[in-house]
Amino acid sequence: MAMLALVVGACTNGSQSQMTADGQPVERLTIAVPEDVGPLNIFASHEEPLTELVYDKLLGPSPYVDDPQPWLASEVRQLDPATWEVDLRDGVTWHDGETFTAADVVFTFEFFKAAPTGRWTHHVSDIPTIETVEAVDDNTVRFTCADACPFLGSVTLADLPIVAEHVWSDVPADQVREVTDLPVGTGPYRLVEYDSVSGYRFEAYENYFAGPPLVQELVMPVIEDPSATFTALRTGEIQATSRPLAPELIAEFASSDDIELITTRPLQFPELRMNFERPPFDVPEFRRAISRALDRAELLDAVFLGEGRRADKGYPHPDAAWTNPDLSTPFDAAEASSLLDELGYEDTDGDSVREGPAGPLRFTIQVAATEPTDVRAAELIRADLAEIGISADVQTKDAASIGELFRSRDFDLYINTITAHGVADPTQFIMSHRSGYLWKAPDMPYPQWDALFEQWSAATTIADRTKTLFEMQELFNSQPTSVPLYYPDEYHAYRAGTFDGWVESPGSGVVHKWSLLPPEVGRDANAVVTGE
Amino acid sequence: MTLRRMLSRTGQLTLVLWAAATFNFALPHLAPGDPVDFKYSGVSGSLSKEHLEIIRTEYGLDRPLLQQYGSFWRGLAQGDLGKSVQHNRPVVEVLAERAPWTVALVGLATVLSAVVGVALGATAAWRRGSRRDAGLVMGVLALDAMPGFWIGMILLAVFSVELGWLPSFGGASIGTAGVERSVDVLRRLILPVATIALATLGAVFLLARAAMVSVLDEPFVRLARAKGVSERRIAVRHVLRNALLPVFTNLTLSVGMLLSGAVVVETVFAYPGLGRLIYEAVVARDYPLLQGAFLLVTLGVVLANLAADLTYPWLDPRVRRGKNLLPAAAQTVEA
Repeated sequence: MAMLALVVGACTNGSQSQMTADGQPVERLTIAVPEDVGPLNIFASHEEPLTELVYDKLLGPSPYVDDPQPWLASEVRQLDPATWEVDLRDGVTWHDGETFTAADVVFTFEFFKAAPTGRWTHHVSDIPTIETVEAVDDNTVRFTCADACPFLGSVTLADLPIVAEHVWSDVPADQVREVTDLPVGTGPYRLVEYDSVSGYRFEAYENYFAGPPLVQELVMPVIEDPSATFTALRTGEIQATSRPLAPELIAEFASSDDIELITTRPLQFPELRMNFERPPFDVPEFRRAISRALDRAELLDAVFLGEGRRADKGYPHPDAAWTNPDLSTPFDAAEASSLLDELGYEDTDGDSVREGPAGPLRFTIQVAATEPTDVRAAELIRADLAEIGISADVQTKDAASIGELFRSRDFDLYINTITAHGVADPTQFIMSHRSGYLWKAPDMPYPQWDALFEQWSAATTIADRTKTLFEMQELFNSQPTSVPLYYPDEYHAYRAGTFDGWVESPGSGVVHKWSLLPPEVGRDANAVVTGE
Repeated sequence: MTLRRMLSRTGQLTLVLWAAATFNFALPHLAPGDPVDFKYSGVSGSLSKEHLEIIRTEYGLDRPLLQQYGSFWRGLAQGDLGKSVQHNRPVVEVLAERAPWTVALVGLATVLSAVVGVALGATAAWRRGSRRDAGLVMGVLALDAMPGFWIGMILLAVFSVELGWLPSFGGASIGTAGVERSVDVLRRLILPVATIALATLGAVFLLARAAMVSVLDEPFVRLARAKGVSERRIAVRHVLRNALLPVFTNLTLSVGMLLSGAVVVETVFAYPGLGRLIYEAVVARDYPLLQGAFLLVTLGVVLANLAADLTYPWLDPRVRRGKNLLPAAAQTVEA
């Protein structure tokens, strides 16, 4: 069996960059965050950029890069298709001074099974199913999966935050959500203060194994309203925000002397979801017709003011490391019409709406009233569908009602935004076909998918699984249940002069721990977009 | 107010409270979605159906609605409003954390609006028909026509962005304590208080002006002038004192709404009040928190009404003496 070895890079104790204009370390940064997620209890809720300030993973930065590097691990080996061994980094300590050991890793994976979170559960108990986690010695952990698990290293180990056994072992699994103590991690920052009125305050963890962070103190007020956030940035009360600029604000901020902008390519997009459990969306050719009918160029230009790329490469995100580069989902209204003709839908009464055996093709597109760009997109989609003889009403609802559609299935079409975990994690594409998001396998028949899934499960190497994954993506985009509307670019604004170390990490924008660590640390961990 | 009337009034208000609490319990359940789904399911990773059911059981959301209603009242009797799904904390704790911020914000704004509104209204009425009166009426009406969020944004643009005098968001900076925190809290209150006060000034002004004008035409004012009482004494002791009665009633009732916060202003200034909390709870379908928050607001309104009823006789001796205040002509019509 070939051994896959990922050896730790020279990322420890990197020299601290001098980030201020006068060459001094930055004492304090105020960064607005858009949501209060409580005291960072990862079993109750999470916001990854915040969580990862406090916690580390065995590999970094995330499953959204093609080659995650050892982080809390020093070396990762695949012993056979279903067995992995991980050597841990020496000299890592928890924020309370306790030593990080193999027992913490074993405990973490067992605890994630006992206390499911939703966000991480499937990476230990489904895709893949980790059967045993054992400490070989104080510094080595062995993982054994129920079946071949070639993605364990690059996905699971790069995704699950490691928690401290001595902190969580006394907490019953069914009470984990009630813990409100401040977290204890190994990460570069300690959360030293939180309240739902004022937000978060972090202090640099001076004993961090990768070297002290560049900023001593982070203050993170919660500002939910975008307008209030950018007003605070203008006044200088905050120096940065994890919220990207809306397209209409880009020109104004770009012309400001006090503000700098960074353009990123987020691994997310707005999508049109079809209810594949409801006729006629259960017919593959019908779904393909809907996909072909959408004018992606118009959607990008009219809705997002051209700030991004046309979504003519389908689902998942084309920048993700695991996406088939040959996917193509062009706008082709003529093909859409002929597909509907072939399915027998015709306008028999001259009202410009086609009829079929079950009546006229009249549907509803549901959209969150709080998302003006989505509402505008829905209006354009309505016009596109009208061109091919499909009538669609746009219905706005509050965000919770739109979120509820995933469970209730009471929809024809709706618009949603899907983020990196959904469109850049290679195993999530499989999970989404099992969870009801993209399909309901194995409950709903889909022989072509089932055959590919068998093939995927039998593959024992990343290369073989990726090959099958590419075929699955081809199949999906030929009869999609979700159609990307455009691939947006994001513009992140920050105050110039205070701290200029902001860098893009794939799928995480610019506010994340890699911006706050010495630049060479992020580069060595393959965690930042270097433009090379 | 007689004891019998007080008991009757208290009984009525209790009935109102029960009906309102029942509606408050039922309404969130009528909206699509539930808090457990909102928090624990979605494409980024959903718990299994079994685990979602376990969590629903933890919060008692798996039981029939009538049983939940029974538990709601049992909890209420013990001062327990349940646990917020979104915050993972007792509802009472979450509400207690936010209520002082809203009381400070809306309370100060109400007082400011009342003082300035009455002063301007009295000035306008005293000089009714003058250019000053016309100017005040036009100015206040123009202000009244502006939405609160617009006033807030203008104040932000001037005092935070352009002049840099005042902070633009939040209730308090984290990491501050003692005098520094008190000063910080007060500075952060100035703009939102001013916004609400300016947005509500018009109603108080018009009410005070109309009441003053009405009282100025009363015979006792002419009598006072005939007796040689000074104009200042007539204005303050006789006219304003009588004119304040409807203003007081209006303010008492608006204090009842104090706890519902000011959602729009709290949003514009990212202020941590109850209004924003209620909005967030609606979005997250956090039933226990919504029920608790609505109950608090209802209680505020009911108690304010009761307070108005009980205090009015102290302010107006005619009510205390049980005299009918309607003019003779109206009494004839009623009879």
